[in-house]
Amino acid sequence: MTNHWIDIQHADVILAIGSNPAENHPISFKYVEKAMDRGAKLISVDPRFTRTSSKADTYCQLRPGTDIAFMGGLINYLLENDHIQREYVVSYTNAPFLVDDAYDFNEGIFTGYDEGSFSYDKKDWRYQQDDAGMPLRDETLTHPRSVYQLMKKHYERYTPEMVCDITGSAIQDYMEVARQLASTATRDRVATIMYAMGTTQHTTGTQNVRSYAMLQLLLGNVGLAGGGINALRGESNVQGSTDYAILYHILPGYLKVPTYQNESLAAYNEKWTPKTNDPKSANWWSNTPKYITSLLKAYWGEKATAENDYCYDYLPKRSGNYSFIPLMQRLQDGGFEGMMLLGTNPVVGGPDSGAIVEGLGKLKWLIAADLWETETSIFWKRPGVDPKTIDTEVFLLPAAASVEKEGSISNSGRWSQWRYKAVEPPGDAMSDAYMVSELFHRLKALYEKDGGAFPAPILDLAWDYGTGHEPDIDLVARECNGRFTRDAVVKGKSFRAGDQVPNFTFLQNDGSTMSGNWLYCGSYTEGGNLAMRRNAEDPTGMGMHHKWSWCWPLNRRVLYNRASVDMDGKPWNPKKPVISWNGATRKWEGDIPDGGWPPMNEGDKTKNPFIMIAEGYGRLFASGLADGPFPEHYEPMESPTHNLMSPQQCNPAVVTPGKLGDADKYPYVGTTYRLSEHWQAGAMTRNLPWLAELVPDMFVEIGERLAKWKEIEHGDLVTISSERGRIQARALVTTRIRPLRINGKLVEQVGVPWHFGYAGLVTGDSANVLTTAVGCANTTIPEYKAFLCNIEKGGKDA
Amino acid sequence: MATVKKVFSEIRGYHPFIKFLMTMVALAVIASGFRFVFGLGATTNLNDVYPWGLWIAFDVVTAVPLAAGAFTLGAIVHCFHIKKLEPLVRPAIVTGFLGYSLVTVGLVLDLGQPQRGWHVLTNWNVHSPMFEVSVCVMAYTTVLFLEFLSPVCEKFGLHLPLRFLRWLEMPLVVAAAAISTLHQSTLGTFFLIAVNKLHGLWYTPLLPLLFWISAISAGLAIIIIEATSSHKWLGYANESELLRILSRILPWTLGLYLAVRVWSLLFFSEGPYFDRPGLSLLFCLELLAFLIPFVMFTQKRVRTNDRRRAIAAILVIVGLVLNRFNVSLMGMMDPNQIYYPSIIETTVTLGIIAAHILFFVLIAKYFPIFEHHPETVDYSIPDHVEKVKSAKQAG
Amino acid sequence: MSTANKKNMSFLIDMTKCTGCRGCQVACKQWNQMEAEKTEFFSGEGYENPPAMSEYTLTRIKFRDFEKNGQNEFAFYKEMCMHCNEPACASVCPVGAFKKTKEGPVVYDDKLCIGCRFCMVACPFNVPKYEWSKALPLVKKCTGCHDRVIEGIKPACATTCPTAISYGPRDEMLRKAERRLAAHPDRYVNHVYGKEEAGGTNVLYLTSLPFDELGFKRVTMRPLPGYTWQALRLVPGIFLTVGGGLSALSWINHRKDRIRAEQQNKTTQEPDTTESSAAEEEGK
Ligand SMILES: Nc1nc2c(c(=O)[nH]1)N[C@H]1C(S)=C(S)[C@@H](COP(=O)(O)OP(=O)(O)OC[C@H]3O[C@@H](n4cnc5c(=O)[nH]c(N)nc54)[C@H](O)[C@@H]3O)O[C@H]1N2
Ligand SMILES: Nc1nc2c(c(=O)[nH]1)N[C@H]1C(S)=C(S)[C@@H](COP(=O)(O)OP(=O)(O)OC[C@H]3O[C@@H](n4cnc5c(=O)[nH]c(N)nc54)[C@H](O)[C@@H]3O)O[C@H]1N2
Ligand code: SF4
Ligand code: SF4
Ligand code: SF4
Ligand code: SF4
Ligand code: SF4
Ligand SMILES: [Mo]
Repeated sequence: MTNHWIDIQHADVILAIGSNPAENHPISFKYVEKAMDRGAKLISVDPRFTRTSSKADTYCQLRPGTDIAFMGGLINYLLENDHIQREYVVSYTNAPFLVDDAYDFNEGIFTGYDEGSFSYDKKDWRYQQDDAGMPLRDETLTHPRSVYQLMKKHYERYTPEMVCDITGSAIQDYMEVARQLASTATRDRVATIMYAMGTTQHTTGTQNVRSYAMLQLLLGNVGLAGGGINALRGESNVQGSTDYAILYHILPGYLKVPTYQNESLAAYNEKWTPKTNDPKSANWWSNTPKYITSLLKAYWGEKATAENDYCYDYLPKRSGNYSFIPLMQRLQDGGFEGMMLLGTNPVVGGPDSGAIVEGLGKLKWLIAADLWETETSIFWKRPGVDPKTIDTEVFLLPAAASVEKEGSISNSGRWSQWRYKAVEPPGDAMSDAYMVSELFHRLKALYEKDGGAFPAPILDLAWDYGTGHEPDIDLVARECNGRFTRDAVVKGKSFRAGDQVPNFTFLQNDGSTMSGNWLYCGSYTEGGNLAMRRNAEDPTGMGMHHKWSWCWPLNRRVLYNRASVDMDGKPWNPKKPVISWNGATRKWEGDIPDGGWPPMNEGDKTKNPFIMIAEGYGRLFASGLADGPFPEHYEPMESPTHNLMSPQQCNPAVVTPGKLGDADKYPYVGTTYRLSEHWQAGAMTRNLPWLAELVPDMFVEIGERLAKWKEIEHGDLVTISSERGRIQARALVTTRIRPLRINGKLVEQVGVPWHFGYAGLVTGDSANVLTTAVGCANTTIPEYKAFLCNIEKGGKDA
Repeated sequence: MATVKKVFSEIRGYHPFIKFLMTMVALAVIASGFRFVFGLGATTNLNDVYPWGLWIAFDVVTAVPLAAGAFTLGAIVHCFHIKKLEPLVRPAIVTGFLGYSLVTVGLVLDLGQPQRGWHVLTNWNVHSPMFEVSVCVMAYTTVLFLEFLSPVCEKFGLHLPLRFLRWLEMPLVVAAAAISTLHQSTLGTFFLIAVNKLHGLWYTPLLPLLFWISAISAGLAIIIIEATSSHKWLGYANESELLRILSRILPWTLGLYLAVRVWSLLFFSEGPYFDRPGLSLLFCLELLAFLIPFVMFTQKRVRTNDRRRAIAAILVIVGLVLNRFNVSLMGMMDPNQIYYPSIIETTVTLGIIAAHILFFVLIAKYFPIFEHHPETVDYSIPDHVEKVKSAKQAG
Repeated sequence: MSTANKKNMSFLIDMTKCTGCRGCQVACKQWNQMEAEKTEFFSGEGYENPPAMSEYTLTRIKFRDFEKNGQNEFAFYKEMCMHCNEPACASVCPVGAFKKTKEGPVVYDDKLCIGCRFCMVACPFNVPKYEWSKALPLVKKCTGCHDRVIEGIKPACATTCPTAISYGPRDEMLRKAERRLAAHPDRYVNHVYGKEEAGGTNVLYLTSLPFDELGFKRVTMRPLPGYTWQALRLVPGIFLTVGGGLSALSWINHRKDRIRAEQQNKTTQEPDTTESSAAEEEGK
C-alpha cells in the first residue's frame, strides 16, 4: 500500500478492482464505509457480483484477465477528454519525457522482442538524453516522442466499444466508472484503488497493477490522503515476510539477491545501484551499498570485514528463477531429494495441484511445519492412493500459532505492530523461530564435526539471539533495526559501538553499522521497540496515528507524500493535507515527508517526490518490466476468444506452458476466489467447527442461464473439468454470476472458491486441480484467476 | 400375592374394549418413557417453529374445555338450582377430575422441566396467562378432587368426611365455577400474545370470552354424550329426560357463541381472512360444527331424541376441538413448514383419551357415581352443623 | 416506554453497512461457547448457514440473493433477540424466568424455567429456541451479552463487527439512526425498525431494502404484554363477580328452597323451576 487502511476514509472515489475487500479484508470496509458516509462513491469491478459489489454505488462486470483493456479504456477516456491533473502530470510524472526514437510498438509487440526466448531486449525503451545525461522533457506534452503522446497513441485503440467487447462490461456501467474516476482529476477530489489477487494472479499481473498506477498518476492521486494505489496484502504478515525476503529474488528490504554474475560486492553494487545524472533526483536506491554492507554485517558480524568483502562470497548467488512454479516443476521432474515446507500447503494452494501432489511422491523426505495435518502432509494417504506405493518419509513438525509466540507483524499499510504471546503452544508445538534456530545449531554442529565443502557461511554466521530455549525475539528485532559495530560519528552525531542506529539514513557502507533490514532501521531505536507503541493520539487529524506502532520507512504513513502538495508545498487539497510546507519554520508539517527537501519551487535545493525511482518521477512509461513499457492487453493463457486488440494472443514474455485447453472442449471461463468464511488452503478454518458450519462444502457458483442449459439445480452435485483435471462441487445457482458478451458472443463464467481439500473437518475437492501452472511475466505469480473449464451435472464418478 | 392374583383375574374378566383401552394406555406409558430418555426433539415433531404441538393443542387447550362439564353443571344445579339435573353431576365431576388429572399428565410430558412445576407457586408472574392457568388448574383439580372424594367416601362409608365434604359443596361449586371461568377464558388469553402469528380468522381480542362460552357449550355437550353412552354401553340409567332439559340450554350458549364469534370477526379482527385456502376450509368446517348443532338444538325433535341429541352434541365437540386446534395449531401454521404429530405424540394423546375412558368406566364400575340418593342427603346449609354433630354423636 | 428505557443499551444495526462477513455470528458462538452445527451446502440464499437460529445459534446472518429490476441484490440481515422494551417473553413466562434488565438486555434464568415454551410462542420475532436434543431441555436465546455489558464492554457481536453494529444508549442510537436517515435519504428505507415495533426494542435496524424483503417480521407497534394484560387484568374482577354472583344466586335459591320446604306440608311440589319452563318455552 502506498497509503494505509485508515487513510481510505479520505477517498472521494474508491475503486475496488481485482479485490473483494468486504469479504477478504473486512476491516478495510470500516474505512470504505466511513468514506461513503462522507459521500464517497464505491465502484466494484469484478467478474462476480460479490459482497463488496453489494455495497457499491457502481458495479461493473468484467471478464477475468481483461483489466488492462479495462484500464486502457479509462486512460484513453482521461486523455481524450483531458480529465487529467495536468500540473501534477507535468511536474511529478515522466509524461513530458522524450522516448528514444528506436522505441516502437507494432501488432501487439514492443521493440526488441525475441520470439525464441519469449523475452525483450529493453535497451530501446529509454529516454532521450542531453549531453549531460539529463533526460529530455517537453512540458507542453505535445512532442510526438513524449511519453504523454506515445501513451495517448497507445491507448487510442482502447475505445469504450472495443474495451467492452473484450471485457464484456455493460457500456453504461463502464462509462459510469470512467466518469466517476475522471471526477477526481481535480485538485480537491481523490480516488483510491484497492486491488489484490484479482489483479495480480494473471500472466499480465504486474502490468495490471501498472495500469492502475498510471491511472492514478494521470489523475494526480498518488501521494494524497485517500489516494494512492493500495495492494490489499494477503496472509496476515505477508507484508512483513516480503519485507523480510520471503521471495527468491530479494534480500531483506528488497535488496536484490545477487546472481552468479555478480562476482564481488563491487560488482553487485555496480549492477544493482541505480544511477541518475539529475541532481534533483534523490534516487534512494543509490544507498544500496550501505544497505547491503549493513546486511552482510548483520549476517556474519565480526567475521564480515572490508577485507573479505563483508563475507559477500558467503551469500548464495542465484542462477535462475526459483519461484513457485519452476520449483514445483522441478519437484515433478524428480529434481529434489527433500523439501521443507513451513506454513504452506501447496497441494491445495498451488496451481495445477494434481501435478504437485504427484511430485511430492518423488521426494525421499518431506518436512512440514504446520498447525494442522494438511493435504500436503497427508498427501501419502490421500483418497484414491495406496500409502504403500509412496516411499516419501514425512515429518510433521507441530508449529505454534501466531498467538502462541511473540513478534512483529506488518500489515498492508506497512505498520509493524508488536504482538505478545497470549497462550502457550499446545503439546509439542514450537515456534518457527525455534525450529529454524534448532536446525541452524544442529547443522553447525554437524559442519563442525564432519566439515564439508563450504562450511564457513554456516560456521561464521552471527547467531546472537541469546541462550534460551527459543531465540530471543527481542534481540532479533534489535538486530533487524541495526546497531553500530564500532564508535562512529555520522552526520555530526557520535555513536558508541552497540548503539542502536536511529534510522537508515545513518547506515554506512564501511562496516560501522549493521542492520538486518534497512527498511526497518528506525523501528527499534535507543528509545525502544517502536512497534510496541499503542498511543492512539492523532495530532494530524488525518488518522495517521504516528505514535501507534511504527511503519516503514521512517514511520512515514503515506508514501510519495511530497506529490500531495503543489509546487509551493501547499496540499493540492488543503482540506485533506498529508504534509504541508511551513514557510516560516521552513519545515514540513503533518506526515514524515519523503525527504525533508523544500518545495519544488525552490529550484536546486529540492528533490523530485518519487524518491525510490531513479529519475524521481512517477513512471507512466516504465522501462524495467519484462513485458513492455506500457501495459498492453493480452488474453489469458486460456481464453474463450482471440485477442481483439492485436494478433498477439497472450503475453509474449510468458513461456507457453503445456496442458492448455481450448474453448471448444472447455467453453467456460473459470475463476477462483476466496470467501470471508475460509482462510486460504483451509487448514486454519476447515478445522474450526464454527467456521466449517458456515461453508461446509466445496461449491461452484454459476449463473442461471448456464444452470438451465445444463439442467443443473441449486445444490446439485456437478463436475468441473479443465485440461488439468476434474473436481466435483455443489452448484450454487445465482444471478450474481452472469454471462459476458464477448465480441458479440455470450460467454458463461464458472466461479470456484479455492479453500477446499481432502484434509480437515470438512473436506472437498480443490479448485487448483483445474488451474494452469503459468505465471506473470514479471513475478511468476500463477494465473489462478482465468482458465477454461467445462461443467456437467453429476459428481465426478457419475 | 393373593390380591395380585385377584386383580389379574378381575382384569381377565373385563370386556375386550376395556382391555384395548388398557393396551393403549400401556403403549402411551412406554411412549412417555421414550420422551424422557431421548428428549422432546427426538420423540416429537416439535421444533423451534412449532414449540407447541399436539400435546398442548389437545391435551391442554382442548382437554380443559372438554372437562368443563363439571363446573357448568355444578353451577346449573347448585347455583341456578336446577336440582333435577343433580344425577348428572357426579359423572360430570368424575369426567372433569379425570380430564384435569390427565391434563396434568400431558403437561408433565410436555414441560421441559416438569420436576420444576412447583416453581409456579414460588415465582409468581401475574402477567402470565400461563401462571394464571397453572394456578387455576391446580386449584380446580383440588376442588374436583374434593368433589370426587364424595363417591369415594360413600363407597367406603366414611361418614364424617362425607359430611364435611357436603358442607364444603356449595363453596366448592362456586369456587369451581369462578376458577373455571378464569382459566377457560385465559386459555384464550394465551393466544392474545400471538399477534401477527395467529391467523386473522381466529385472532381476536375476544378470544377469552369465546373460549369461555364455547367451553360451557362443550361441557354441556360432553355431559350429553357421556350420559348417553353410559346408558348405551354401560347400561346405566337412561337420563334422557334430564338431557332434554340440559339441551335446552345449548341453543343459548351456542347462539351466544356464534353471535360473539361473528361480531368479533366483523369488528375486532384484522385480516387477512381468506388468504390461505386450507385455513379458510378449516374455518368453515369449524363454524359449521357450531352452526349445525345450534340449529339442531333449537329443535325439539332433536332435543327429545336420544340419537339426534347425541349427534348434535358430538358436533359441538367437533366444533370445539376444531376451534381449539385451529387456534393453537393450524392458525399458527407456517405455510412453509407443516407440523404433524409424531407417532409418539399421537400414541401419548390417544393413550390419554383411552385413559380417560378407561378410568371413567372403572370408576363407574367400582364407585357409586351413578347411584344417586338425593333423599338420603340433606343439602340445606343451616342444617349441616347438626348433621355433623349427630354424626359425631352416632360415632 | 418511559424514560427509563431511553438509556437502555441498544444495538443500531445498519444493514446497508453490513458486509455479510458473519464475524458476529462466529463471535457469538465463541463468547457463548456454543456448539457448531452440522450443516450441508447452504441452507438458504447466498451462503446462509445454519438453517435457522437454534439452541446452538443465537444470532445469524440471513442472506438475500436475488435480482430486482435487473439489479443484483445481495443483502444481509442479522437475526437476534430484539431485547424488547416490553418483552412478550418475559410477560408470558409463568415463573418469570425472563427479565428485562435495567441495562437493557432481556435475560433468561435457566434455574427457574419450567420449560413450557410459552416464551417461544409469545415472542413476536420467534427468538427463543429450545434444546430439543435434551431430555430436560432449556430455552436458549441471545443474552444481549448481559455478562459483558455489566462489565462495561460491548456485546461480542458488536465488538467484532467491522462496520454495521453500533452500541449505546437507546436515545443516542435512535438519534444516530435518524441522522443517517436524514443524511442519506436515498440509501435507506425511511424507517427505523425497532423504534416502534413491538412497542420499541433495544435492537434497531436500518435497511435499504423494504423490511419484509429482507425477512424482517411484520409485527404490531403495540407492546405485546398489553395484549394479554388487557384480558388478564380483569381476572380479579371476574373472579369476584362470578364467585360473588354465584354465591348470591345460590344463597337466594337455597333460601327460596328453605321457604318452600317450610311450606311443603301445605302444598304439593312443583316439578319445574321457573327457569326451566322458560327455557322450554323458548325451545318451542
Ligand atoms: N477471508 C479471507 N480473507 C483473506 C484470505 C482468505 O483466504 N480468506 N486470503 C488473504 C490473502 S493471502 C490474499 S492474497 C487476499 C486476496 O484478496 P482478494 O484479491 O480480494 O481475493 P480473491 O477472492 O482471490 O480475488 C478477488 C476478486 O478478484 C476477482 N477477479 C477474478 N479475476 C479478476 C480479474 O481478472 N480482474 C478483476 N478486476 N477481478 C478479478 C474475483 O472474482 C474476486 O472477487 O485475501 C486475504 N484475505
Ligand atoms: N486457485 C487459487 N490458488 C491460490 C490463490 C487463489 O487466489 N486462487 N491464492 C494464492 C495466494 S494469494 C496465496 S497467499 C497462497 C497461500 O497458500 P498457502 O500459504 O499454501 O496457504 P495457507 O493455507 O495460508 O497455508 C498456511 C499454512 O500455515 C499454517 N500456519 C499458520 N500459522 C503458522 C505458523 O505460525 N507457523 C507454521 N509453521 N505454520 C502456520 C496453516 O495451518 C496453513 O496450513 O495460495 C495461493 N493459491
Ligand atoms: S486481518 Fe484479521 S481482523 Fe483484519 S480483516 Fe483480516 S481477519 Fe479481520
Ligand atoms: S425479541 Fe422475543 S425473546 Fe427477545 S426480548 Fe423480545 S419477546 Fe423476548
Ligand atoms: S419455557 Fe421457561 S422461560 Fe419460557 S415461558 Fe416457559 S418457563 Fe418461562
Ligand atoms: S449480544 Fe451476545 S448473545 Fe446476543 S447475538 Fe450478540 S454476541 Fe450473541
Ligand atoms: S459482523 Fe457486522 S458486517 Fe459482519 S455480518 Fe455481522 S453485522 Fe454484518
Ligand atoms: Mo495471498
